[in-house]
Amino acid sequence: MSTNSFMAMEGIDKSFHHVPVLQDVFFEVNYGEIHALLGENGAGKSTLMNILGGIHQPDKGSIHINGSEVEMTDPRVSQDYGISFIHQELNVVSDLRVYENMFLGAELRNKWGFVKVEQMCQQTKDVLARLGVDIDPKEYVRNLDTSYKQLIEISKALLRNATLIIMDEPTTALADHEVGRLFELMKNLKKSGVSIIYISHKLKEIQEVCDRYTVLRDGKMVGSGHMQEQKLDTITNLMIGKSVSEERFLQHHTLGPTTLEVSHLTSPGFFTDIDFTVRKGEIAGFTGLAGDGRTELFESLFGFRKKYTGEIKIGGKTVRIDHPKKALKAGLGLVPKDRKENAIIKDLNVIHNMSLSSMGHFEKTGFVREKAEKQRFEFYKDKLNIKVQNPRLTIDKLSGGNQQKVVIAKWLEVDTDIIIFDNPTQGIDVGAKREIYQDIIELAEQGKGVIVLSSEVPELLKVCHTLYVMYQGEIAATFKGEEATEDEMMRYATGTKKEAVTVG
Amino acid sequence: MANPEKKQEAYQQTMRSKATGRFSWLWSEYSVIIAFLIIFIAASFMSPRFLDLTNQMNILMQVSIIGIVSLGMTVIMLSGGIDLSVGSVLALVGVITVMALNASGSIFAAIITACLVGSFTGFLNGLMVAKGKIASFIATLGMMAAARSIALYTADGGSISGEVSGFSAISNSDLWIIDYPIIIFLIVTALVYILMHHTRFGRYVYAIGSNEKAALLSAIRVDRVKMAVYSLGGLLVSVAAIIETSRLNSISSSSSGMQYELDAIAAVIIGGTRMTGGRGKVIGTFFGVLILGILNNMMNLMNVSPHLQGFVKGLIIIIAVVFQKRE
Repeated sequence: MSTNSFMAMEGIDKSFHHVPVLQDVFFEVNYGEIHALLGENGAGKSTLMNILGGIHQPDKGSIHINGSEVEMTDPRVSQDYGISFIHQELNVVSDLRVYENMFLGAELRNKWGFVKVEQMCQQTKDVLARLGVDIDPKEYVRNLDTSYKQLIEISKALLRNATLIIMDEPTTALADHEVGRLFELMKNLKKSGVSIIYISHKLKEIQEVCDRYTVLRDGKMVGSGHMQEQKLDTITNLMIGKSVSEERFLQHHTLGPTTLEVSHLTSPGFFTDIDFTVRKGEIAGFTGLAGDGRTELFESLFGFRKKYTGEIKIGGKTVRIDHPKKALKAGLGLVPKDRKENAIIKDLNVIHNMSLSSMGHFEKTGFVREKAEKQRFEFYKDKLNIKVQNPRLTIDKLSGGNQQKVVIAKWLEVDTDIIIFDNPTQGIDVGAKREIYQDIIELAEQGKGVIVLSSEVPELLKVCHTLYVMYQGEIAATFKGEEATEDEMMRYATGTKKEAVTVG
Repeated sequence: MANPEKKQEAYQQTMRSKATGRFSWLWSEYSVIIAFLIIFIAASFMSPRFLDLTNQMNILMQVSIIGIVSLGMTVIMLSGGIDLSVGSVLALVGVITVMALNASGSIFAAIITACLVGSFTGFLNGLMVAKGKIASFIATLGMMAAARSIALYTADGGSISGEVSGFSAISNSDLWIIDYPIIIFLIVTALVYILMHHTRFGRYVYAIGSNEKAALLSAIRVDRVKMAVYSLGGLLVSVAAIIETSRLNSISSSSSGMQYELDAIAAVIIGGTRMTGGRGKVIGTFFGVLILGILNNMMNLMNVSPHLQGFVKGLIIIIAVVFQKRE
């Protein structure tokens, strides 16, 4: 431990349900530095920060603050030590004024119980002045830019005398000039002795603002050092590791004619001028970081979003899709991300969830034949290996992987020519992940056009024929499946490298 | 010797937990029916006249109108909405029906008019909710005020009576000892039950009420289903309006249908349908309606002041909901 250390975590171990998430992690932050915490999704960054924030307790290891050992038993304890967590989603109330947000839950009151408005305004002004900004404390937050909202969160942390601020992906919602403003602010904070832990995927930004970095991979600390001494490539390699790329699931089937053709698709604020084609039997992968617009792109294609321009051709015919039902008729299916919000109907039972999009298959003279539904479900239960005791129970009783298989069964039953999977392996265990990718490959072998959206590049590398990397609403690069490498793709995804899409 | 005893104990424990598990299942599935039975038995002890066949028929007769309205409300609430306009629309439909009856002299034409007017107001509600994206509470609150106002204006604030003999026969005839309104109520219950549990439409309504976004992403025409739901609600209000009008052969634009929306919502809630939709049963509403009917009847038999009856009803509604929350 260096003498300048403000906070140090040593030998941290943590498992959830016997699955180790963190193993012997060492993490140290000095006084007045901006420290980047890096790693891919699932590397354990948020678990580590939750331990620091007192939300989780470590199985092993110790936390030191100012050299003395402390126990973060509770988020409140962590706050008392001057640690403040600014989450990705901003916790500000738009309909309240700036100073009201600042003091929310900790209002200053006089002995009669009335709030001391002037005093709060004055303190707010002081803090904002310290950050070098000038906003009226009585302004409504809804009238401010997103970056100012971020600022309010930071000011709130300063008001509570925070000496260590954790920022989780703070720039995802910000425009370029706002990012600049945030960085200025961070540098000012650093000068006043506040330390910052900065979590982000965007390596370029990190290089600009951070002093040191620590990289996590698969729950282990794999590297740490000074930012200036390292090249970005070295850090990227540390993040993804050399050993991660497992074998590609082999695919030898030949591809058919073009089935989906998208040209000049644009939706202001989400994606611009998207062109791509998918052939029958092809698996196309789309990846990118938060804010890349890929989910919005395919939700538009599926008719869930209506405000877009451009041309979509399916099987050579131009189609206009403004409702999911029309997408289904045109031959598009979508297994959405965020299963709980978008895909499962938790009050319907497992069988009814399976048949929901293809009720016509189970009807006779206007009545639903539950027997036929049950039989069809048995078919998918065997085919997709869905583990369910009683399919007449509501679907929320199933595990995540099995729920996802039911959703997939729902779309297999619809039997569309093209099927889109958005983050199909979100929140499910390794075994089920593998099964789902095998199902995807089988679909392609049957001659369907398959599109897979995922933030996990190694997964895409295993199954895709073609890979598209998106960056801020544009396709930044296209790769052939066997030629692509993860670090090359990450360079485009993080915006480190940018070039015109090579045609063909 | 200690071992078998322990085993026995463990066995008894599992049996007990199994029994309580079974009871909690029974309770969660059929709590309304159990509550209905308890209230029914209690009522038969409290008043000797309660069990008289004529009294029983009386109860059914009295609940049939609210019952039919409640069935429509059930469908609407299962879809995640609410309809506050049912009482006003009932008065409006009644007024227009009597006018159509008197103008045309045809009972058939009157019934058709009633159904058209009711379905159309329901459709307007659906249009506002599904296409206009107005919260159902607000949209139907507006319809409630508007429909009552048109009814009052059309009838000049008073009552209008039918001038065609035969129209009042609809509510005042019986089959053996069962009055027509009861038969209509039972038939409508059966139809709505089949619609909700054995057709695609019913499945879609549950799906929308449970998770509207997922329903839309499952390629369900959410807006059309919603419009159909409110139109159906309106149609059932028409049926109730025909019975109400025929019963006295007249309708009052100012007092008919007053607070029916509250009784209907109460019946649906007592019947176990979740306020936010997606969960609930048609049969639950049926028994919810009966519970309300028995309570009214008991309070009348026991000479409870009419001014106090609202209090008792309110209490029962709240108790019912508290018990359902438990599970």
